[in-house]
Amino acid sequence: MSRLPPSSTERIDRSRPLGFRWCGRALEGFEGDTVASALWGAGVRTFGRSFEYHRPRGLHDLEGEGSSQLVSIDGVPNQSAGTTPLREGMEVGAQNVRGDPRFDVYGLLDRLDRFMPAGFYYRLFHRPAWAARFFQERMRGLAGLGVLRLDVPERGERAERYLNADVAVVGGGPAGMSAALEAARRGLRVCLFERRPWLGGHLDWRVRNGRPLAAEVSALAGELERIKSVRVFRHAPVTGIWGENLLTGFQCPGTGSRTGGGSAGAFDETHWECRARTVVVATGSIERPLVFEHNDRPGVMQVDTAVRLARTYGVRPGAAAAFSVGDDLGLEAALDLASLGVDVRVVADARREGHDEALVAALVEAGIDFRPGWAASRVRGRSRVRRVELAARTTTGAGSGATVGSAGGGAGDSLRVACDLLVASAGRQPDIGVLSCAGARFRHGERTRTFELERLPPDVFAAGGVLRLTDIEALTSSGRIAGLEAAAACGANVRGPLTRERARLADRPRSARGSSIVRGPVAERRLAPGRKAFLDFDEDGTWKNAAQSAAYAFDVPELAKRFGNFGLGPGQYRVPGQNLAMAMAEIAGRPIGSFAATTVRPPVVPPSLATLAGPNHDIHKRTPLHDDQASRGAVFRRAGPWLRARYFSADRECLEEIRNVRENVGLLDSSPLGKFRIWGPDALRALQRVYVSDMTRARPGRCTYSAMCNDTGNIIDDGVVVRTGEDEFYFTTSSNRAGTTVEWLRFHTRYDGWDYNLVNLTDALASINVAGPNARRVLEKITDAELSDEAFPYLGCREIEVGDGVAARCLRLGFVGELSYELHLRASHARYVWDLLWEAGAEYGIRPFGLEAQNCLRAEKGHVIIGTESEQRVTLLDIGMGWLWDREDTASGKVGAAALRYCEGQSGRLKLVGLRVDDPAGDAGAGTARGLAHRPEDGALVVDGERIAGFVCTTRRSETLGWQYGLALVEERLAEWGRSLDLYESLGRRTVRSTATVVPPHFHDPMGQRLRIAPEGRPRRSGEAPSQPAPAAHRRSPVRFDAAPARTERRAGWNVVLDYESDRAPTDVMRQAGLVDLSHRARWDVQNRDIRTVRPFGLDVPGRPGEVAVRDGLMINRMNGTQASVWHVGPGAAPAMPDGPHYTDTTDSHCWLALLGDSVPGVLESVTNLDLFDPARARPFLTQGPVLHVPCQIVTWRDDVVLLAFSRGYGHTFVEALLESGRRTGLRPASERVFTDWIHALKS
Amino acid sequence: MTFRLTCPVCGKRDVYEFTYGGPERGPRPAEADPGSGSQAAGGSDPAAGSDPAAGSDPAAAAEAHFRWAQFRMNRPEPHEEWWHHGAGCGVWFSTWRDPATNREVPPGGTGAGGHEASGRDSS
Repeated sequence: MSRLPPSSTERIDRSRPLGFRWCGRALEGFEGDTVASALWGAGVRTFGRSFEYHRPRGLHDLEGEGSSQLVSIDGVPNQSAGTTPLREGMEVGAQNVRGDPRFDVYGLLDRLDRFMPAGFYYRLFHRPAWAARFFQERMRGLAGLGVLRLDVPERGERAERYLNADVAVVGGGPAGMSAALEAARRGLRVCLFERRPWLGGHLDWRVRNGRPLAAEVSALAGELERIKSVRVFRHAPVTGIWGENLLTGFQCPGTGSRTGGGSAGAFDETHWECRARTVVVATGSIERPLVFEHNDRPGVMQVDTAVRLARTYGVRPGAAAAFSVGDDLGLEAALDLASLGVDVRVVADARREGHDEALVAALVEAGIDFRPGWAASRVRGRSRVRRVELAARTTTGAGSGATVGSAGGGAGDSLRVACDLLVASAGRQPDIGVLSCAGARFRHGERTRTFELERLPPDVFAAGGVLRLTDIEALTSSGRIAGLEAAAACGANVRGPLTRERARLADRPRSARGSSIVRGPVAERRLAPGRKAFLDFDEDGTWKNAAQSAAYAFDVPELAKRFGNFGLGPGQYRVPGQNLAMAMAEIAGRPIGSFAATTVRPPVVPPSLATLAGPNHDIHKRTPLHDDQASRGAVFRRAGPWLRARYFSADRECLEEIRNVRENVGLLDSSPLGKFRIWGPDALRALQRVYVSDMTRARPGRCTYSAMCNDTGNIIDDGVVVRTGEDEFYFTTSSNRAGTTVEWLRFHTRYDGWDYNLVNLTDALASINVAGPNARRVLEKITDAELSDEAFPYLGCREIEVGDGVAARCLRLGFVGELSYELHLRASHARYVWDLLWEAGAEYGIRPFGLEAQNCLRAEKGHVIIGTESEQRVTLLDIGMGWLWDREDTASGKVGAAALRYCEGQSGRLKLVGLRVDDPAGDAGAGTARGLAHRPEDGALVVDGERIAGFVCTTRRSETLGWQYGLALVEERLAEWGRSLDLYESLGRRTVRSTATVVPPHFHDPMGQRLRIAPEGRPRRSGEAPSQPAPAAHRRSPVRFDAAPARTERRAGWNVVLDYESDRAPTDVMRQAGLVDLSHRARWDVQNRDIRTVRPFGLDVPGRPGEVAVRDGLMINRMNGTQASVWHVGPGAAPAMPDGPHYTDTTDSHCWLALLGDSVPGVLESVTNLDLFDPARARPFLTQGPVLHVPCQIVTWRDDVVLLAFSRGYGHTFVEALLESGRRTGLRPASERVFTDWIHALKS
Repeated sequence: MTFRLTCPVCGKRDVYEFTYGGPERGPRPAEADPGSGSQAAGGSDPAAGSDPAAGSDPAAAAEAHFRWAQFRMNRPEPHEEWWHHGAGCGVWFSTWRDPATNREVPPGGTGAGGHEASGRDSS
């Protein structure tokens, strides 16, 4: 192993060797090594083969600047060897290699480069047409980087983190640290992101005159650790800056620490986003590569790479070295490596003048051959450097910007040096990636010869090396200035310090002179100069390719970038970016700064796709009856936000389920149905606006069916409306529309200033549908209510009590075409009533039915489902529901009425018709018959000759009818009864034609008698007792923790867990984080136009939205102009809900959680980007916004106590995801006592 | 694309919390008298001008409604538009925004408070 003697700057632990494998060979490195340093240290020179020419590539850079150092790790391709910490037992492999990387089979491709000019794949191989596919497949096998192995499972934990900051600092070098400190001293929240696992930037490894420079900034780093308002994120590259200072990036946790070996955690990555008021960019500078023949050979490396190998990792970069550099840091590096025992044979500096005299003197003193105005022109050697050719640059003045001419062959101006290491660089360039994403503009600077900052976007500041500053005083000073400017933009008064600091910076020396060299000297005798001089290593883009691009008129950098693939690889702007702009200028014979550098796009540093995908929680709503249906064999499908039971058997036609409803009795969980309460003086007007029917007809005790249209007359929703009071209504919407109904009503009345209030009860109320001829017999066993046809007719609505006095609103409807009762009751009671119904129905053989059975049942009846039998072109009139429309009403401004009136007499529209699919088997002479009736798929086309004339919405086989029926939308002229329709389907490669006959769209019970008339048998009269006494009613929370309850209590029907085995000691919980389910505690919604006149429980509603008041065990959260929520936080029992229309009991609407403990902010940071811990806001305060993408009400009581309420249906999946996200920070389920203890402590 | 909107209740929030309600176009035009037919407007050119005040003329009313409901200019200049804070407080509000920069601008769209189009939202 070629390790150097230990030095104070190194970050490896030589006492802890780590074994790993490289292409099957066992090698060794040290704890603290990266994969790249361990490989180089073990003598590996060829890391892989290049993208196109299969050239051997080695360690050129250590920061992921190019693809040369990409390897596969444990089967996962394209890992950056330079930045991935080495771990015990890693399997590291070379990429784009057949066989050993040193003897790659495809290496001969390198000789065929003349057949692969720039853009050749665009211009060749596409004629004849078959050739494109042929060559594509061939080339895919030859070119490319890593190979995605599908047999290797995705590993690593992927987390998310959302940060809010006043100042975000990008880069933890001297400038970045100074900026962060300066801002933090003004009380601002600061987040600092450093891409390396440690702070200090390039000072970390630089040694000057034998003195490590890290000491200069160690005090800064120490101070940063102590200030609480600064959060430092190490090994956290920034991937981009987006609109309004949103920073994104990722972090590799556990790296940079001495956590020990093992591959565990090697693939862990956290995606973070930081919303910052201001940003300080201190990304420093990176190397600009020197372009010369064979500049990609293993053994050619950047200045930083050579120094860091030696200084950070203790690895000898090479035995004998040549240097070809372009700035003072290069000279410093040569001296430093020489002092470490590397045989530095020559140092060429592209600059003729402007060197640091002290460094030059030191070089001369060390006896090193120093050649100003010289540069490397060619490397000899194949899989490693064997000899380097250097030559004098012949043009006058390095700063002239003119084309660099060729060196003559004379012995006096060229030199050959035998060595195994060439440290090559054209100089340093500002790392403009992040700034460029932010929208900064750059201009080529005459003195520094790099692209300098010209204009910054608002609220973004720059400091340090990115401004081409180099000496430490100037770096820290510019950092302090940027920090102060950011503080000023956040409102701090920093005028005095800012003036002083600016004066201090002005005293510092100007930034050093740079070199404009792009390409080393070229010997004129060469036939094709630049053939193997690479501008871009990632995609093998050579100087010659750039010249070819220009010849094809892709002659500016942004065009050449796309035509010649410069900078489209993983390294993006780093290796080719600024060089490309300068090279294109040189090729065009224009001044070197005439083109701007190409735009940098996020991700500046590539994160893994799995990190972007994140933890991928499956957040959906579940009904209160989910678990029981699952135990009965339900197959669930997503329907909007809900998971719903679709089938209850393997029979996808659901014939048993359907037959049971038609002949007996079935149970359907229809809880996702939208359910709303609306009240207020203008409630009726609001309903008149959105419903097409005359809503003044809505009466108490009766369901009025109607529909909603949009402004173009398309039907978008249907449901029933029941009047429940003078100015109060209850209405239902289709399941998928529930979320948008409130929005819809408010939108269409937004100019009217009407006074009405709306409460969404969709999650608060479960809905159970008892359907079938025996429905009444089952229901009457669990209720005393009168259910006879006279007392409770079809379309009636009654408030009844079921079981042990459980209140339910019962609607007698008939969507499935049978006698059916829909019970709307508290979600927490749903399971209790559902169980009662099972028991009551057992004697009839009651069965559940799912969505598919319901779909068949309703289609047989000819009932439409919006979105299935309607689409964008279809109006209310087209589907035969025009009778709903109150066309006399022009005063209400009904949504869609104008459009309906417009298309009332229009011809040529689609119409809804019934279909009877012809059975070819029964049709003698049908040539296509195979003896089996083909059922056209939903969505099959209706064709008229060659034209499409409509489509099939639904077709099913009906046991009830004995034939295949369906509903279709067809052009009006085809919509005559008895007409034959041609159906066309394309099923894979097969096309299937069939025929069907148009019939009226009511197949089953067209007169509706089954809905209206009681089946045989005597309905029970009122006063008769139910056949058996009901068990005591109980209520259930949507949350069930996976923890063992130690003590429970029965409270108002709820089973409350007082203690879990795991939280016997509440102080332990508070030290980390506990999650308490408070869903059983009472909550109310309070609404009124003038909310402050309502004094719920005699308490004042807070004056402004977002404010929270706590008194008498109640918490009142002001939500918006007209609404507040009241939560019973205790201690003590909950009061009864006051009378009056302003109040709605929303205990069942929400799942209510409390988070307690010191790591609560960390838990919430991983699930929401809301700023819940803004130090500027007085606690407690209310935030309304998404957590885990679920809209929530969040009360920040203290930094360690947060209450959270959201739609009840999300309860299960939300809690699961929250516990998973909080696992790392110690979040665990806790009992109510943890919360009540805290409340008691607060009281006393 | 990422930008923020200022909810009058909740303050600045990510655009993902909001749903779009279209440009501000004033209240719904009055409907025509249902007694008369309304086919006259069937073939009229949508871009042609009309007199929205002609409430009693069914053709003109249909035309006015059509323009109100369907016609959008989509000019890349500051305009007032409606947003619903669905993931938050549930309020509908209107705000001025410059679609060229995706930044909110002061009412009237003078652009004084707007940021320059800086290519920050790369696509």
